[in-house]
Amino acid sequence: MSLRGWVTALRDALHNMARGNVMSLASMLAVAVTLLVLAVVAILAVNLEEIAATAESQVEIKGYLCTARREEVKCGQRDLTEEEIRAILESIRNLPNVEQVTFLSRHEALEEMKRADPAQADLLSGYEGDENPLSDEVYVKVADVQLVAEVAEQIQAMRGVAKVDYGKEIVADLLAFTRAVRIGGAGLVVLLLFATVLTLSNTIRLSVYARRREVSIMKLVGATDWYIRRPFVLEGMLLGAMGAGVASAVAAWGYIRLTPAIQQSLPFLPVVPPDAILSDLTLALLGLGAVLGALASYFSLHRFLNV
Amino acid sequence: MKTPSLDGINLRVERGEFVFLVGPSGAGKSTLMKLLYREELPTSGQLILDGKDVARLPRRAVPYLRRSLGVIFQDFKLLPDRTVFENVAFALECTDVPRREVLRRVPAALELVGLRHKSRALAAELSGGEQQRVAVARAIVRNPVLVIADEPTGNLDPENTWAIMNLLNQINQMGATVMVATHAAEIVDSMKKRVVALERGRVVRDENRGTYGYES
Repeated sequence: MSLRGWVTALRDALHNMARGNVMSLASMLAVAVTLLVLAVVAILAVNLEEIAATAESQVEIKGYLCTARREEVKCGQRDLTEEEIRAILESIRNLPNVEQVTFLSRHEALEEMKRADPAQADLLSGYEGDENPLSDEVYVKVADVQLVAEVAEQIQAMRGVAKVDYGKEIVADLLAFTRAVRIGGAGLVVLLLFATVLTLSNTIRLSVYARRREVSIMKLVGATDWYIRRPFVLEGMLLGAMGAGVASAVAAWGYIRLTPAIQQSLPFLPVVPPDAILSDLTLALLGLGAVLGALASYFSLHRFLNV
Repeated sequence: MKTPSLDGINLRVERGEFVFLVGPSGAGKSTLMKLLYREELPTSGQLILDGKDVARLPRRAVPYLRRSLGVIFQDFKLLPDRTVFENVAFALECTDVPRREVLRRVPAALELVGLRHKSRALAAELSGGEQQRVAVARAIVRNPVLVIADEPTGNLDPENTWAIMNLLNQINQMGATVMVATHAAEIVDSMKKRVVALERGRVVRDENRGTYGYES
């Protein structure tokens, strides 16, 4: 396929768009609107994902190790030796899906309490040594939050572990929420892609219809399907990319304007900074617009060529 | 079941022949021509053109078949908003012929049909006879082995009818095989070419130096 062929096709495509300028403008704007909604959904999804990921990263299993003071039967009312504690930590580390294990002895915990509240320090000093009522604690972060319950169970079953706690109900709710966000987002994206293809293929169909005489003569004099198709495919790509350009400009402008306001009024909410996603989003939208435009043209021409 | 448009046709046309197809409307003349340029497919049988069976040609080979043909229609099938030159060049351009070739061959074809001086006129501004001459130029610009004309003079007055028929005859003298479906009785009678008559999808007459043979 020669370069000249592409130049000719591009000239024809531009010519078509100029000739059907109102229709082209209308469908370009329609594509811009659908892609804008898509961009908004994408930005929302990225942020919800960020919130979900932040929330998930805070999920932690807290394990209480046995001490002489604990009442659980399996603890046998005796303190663990240092070797036993080391062995427990080692076997937790060896569990699958465990990412990070932090140990906090009951003595360290007491010191921390003193530091946190110096006014009570005197009072607390009575609980030092063997009088310490606290338990040795182990904090476990998991790689996959979906499997936190399993890990917690395995730790609970270990000898020398009195009790584990990981916020079971909250984790379940959180997982349900992030799942819904992901599925809903994906569904909406697919729907919007479909709408974009329909909009574009309608415009291209009109454009083909306006040129059906030319197309039929082209066929009669022996133009290949590809030759006939090419200017329409280019037209679709250009319309799609232009719509995407408008959509990403509006989306970028809105997001940049909105981010500071959200951060100010809802400071606890993790907001993805605009410059972290906008260039990727723009590129993705432009590519998507062009690809969808090409696909829409390709398929709307199919019927015309098969006569 | 519908009666077939063509039934049991057995026809052989030699390279360089000039053949008139005659017969009442609906006899199957157009269908026979459409089979040749693969606008329609036969339900059975063979159609050998230049050694190849047109009926068995794969879809992607159809454009290349059509490039070896020149087809002329009653309604000219020109693009009204393009110039005469562009209309003829169109047949070359959409088959990726280099620009140099286009600039050489289009004026030559327009010269042959006597319309070189109208190169820049829009097709819509021409008279019917001139438009059909542009269509003839478009059909021959690629030096086709076979020129097919389906009632090329159906929309023209007698004078232009003669002009077109003379052009087709001239193209035939230059070596192309020509098949013309027509109702122009007077011309068929005076040109003394091979005449094939179709009636209800069958060949009822095939004579060299024949006549039209119907009331006109």
